[in-house]
Amino acid sequence: MASQPDGKTIRVEKFMSDLTSTRVRHTGYEDAQEHYLADGMGDGLPVVPPTPSKVRAMLDYAGLAPSDVIAEEAVRGVAFTAEKVAINAVMAGCKPEYMPVIISAVQAVSEPPFNFHANSTSTNGVGALVIVSGDIANRIGINSGTVAMGHGFRANATIGRAMGLIKINVYGSVPHRMDKSTFGHPGKYSFCFAEDDDAIPWEPLRVEKGYAADNSTVTVFAANSPIQVNTQNESAPEDFLAIVGDASVVLGERHSEFALALSPELMGYIRAAGWSKQRIKEFIFERGARTGRELNEKHRRITLYEGDDLDRRIPVVESADQITVVGAGGDAGPFAMLIGAWGDVISITKRIQT
Amino acid sequence: MTQENELVTLDPRGGSTHKSEGIAPRPGSLDGLVIGLLSNNKPNSELLMHDVAELLKRRFAIRDVIEANKGSHRVPAPADMIADLAERCDVVIAATAE
Repeated sequence: MASQPDGKTIRVEKFMSDLTSTRVRHTGYEDAQEHYLADGMGDGLPVVPPTPSKVRAMLDYAGLAPSDVIAEEAVRGVAFTAEKVAINAVMAGCKPEYMPVIISAVQAVSEPPFNFHANSTSTNGVGALVIVSGDIANRIGINSGTVAMGHGFRANATIGRAMGLIKINVYGSVPHRMDKSTFGHPGKYSFCFAEDDDAIPWEPLRVEKGYAADNSTVTVFAANSPIQVNTQNESAPEDFLAIVGDASVVLGERHSEFALALSPELMGYIRAAGWSKQRIKEFIFERGARTGRELNEKHRRITLYEGDDLDRRIPVVESADQITVVGAGGDAGPFAMLIGAWGDVISITKRIQT
Repeated sequence: MTQENELVTLDPRGGSTHKSEGIAPRPGSLDGLVIGLLSNNKPNSELLMHDVAELLKRRFAIRDVIEANKGSHRVPAPADMIADLAERCDVVIAATAE
């Protein structure tokens, strides 16, 4: 386009040409929606049409070129380019300022211990849960309070949705094809919340994971559906955590990890009793263990325990350190959320570059 | 439809950079060959493998059977296990069970 005398035109042409994804021309908005709702693309909900200008705005905010590779996942040989991530973020309804969170989350799911390929195919049916810790949550409006795991907040809804769309469209985890979830769960549409720094009586998740208090981080879990545990208005930690620990038995055995979110009301009881986060983990770990005999008789077993295992206490996870405890939710309510993870997955925490 | 309603959008889909390896050449017969059995450690997978080996032994003059268990169905087999099976076996059967 060098022959063009109009400098603006030249700039626009260059701007258009470095986005390499296939362009689709639609006769209008409705036509575009039908295209993206077609079989195998998207999550079944209408999308924001990913026009080149919207995609460019995402990339510009993140300071990335379209061809920049954000992460590479080795098992499937998928390179997550900035362009593809930005397209899916637009489709999800994200604002450009959400991009740093999504970029870090994509890097997290691409780490080998996250086992993205296996957990994206399995009947177990997990979604990518994004837990944000740090001041970026307040700056971009990620809800950590009332309805933290539900609807109503654009940042939560669309960051979580972007991860779901990236998993489908870029990674290829299309339902009925690669995604063989027996049930799946609503968190596969979107699952993102923040830890509530103002409510927690313990060190923030980012600090526990080795980052500075003034950093912001994402922690990504291969998450099953959350299970809400009603602690029946017990206020002594050993009483309400016993209910939570007993409930954790349904997550299964030999799991690599699970997450536990406590509400502000329960965190208040924890603060008053002077319990540490580590003590909570150890209590839940012990309380959730069952003897081989109990598991044979009362719970789901494929192969029955025998010999010494009959009297051995078999925990849900192998150590208390494999339980991640976070604080979130509305002020009122004695509720805890248990979030099981897919078998051999280790959640990954990444710093958000802001 | 007026032209100003036209929309141009971008395809969100990515793809794998892996190249298809194709299927390894099949032997015409298993007579005289070493068979590898790679279990994924799911319950009963080794039992299934043993039954498969017994069935094959009835039909062919199998020279030897080498068993391996990759430890978990959730992760790929270790590279050295795959290399060892490739070195020692003419044919490897991988299977799942429940």
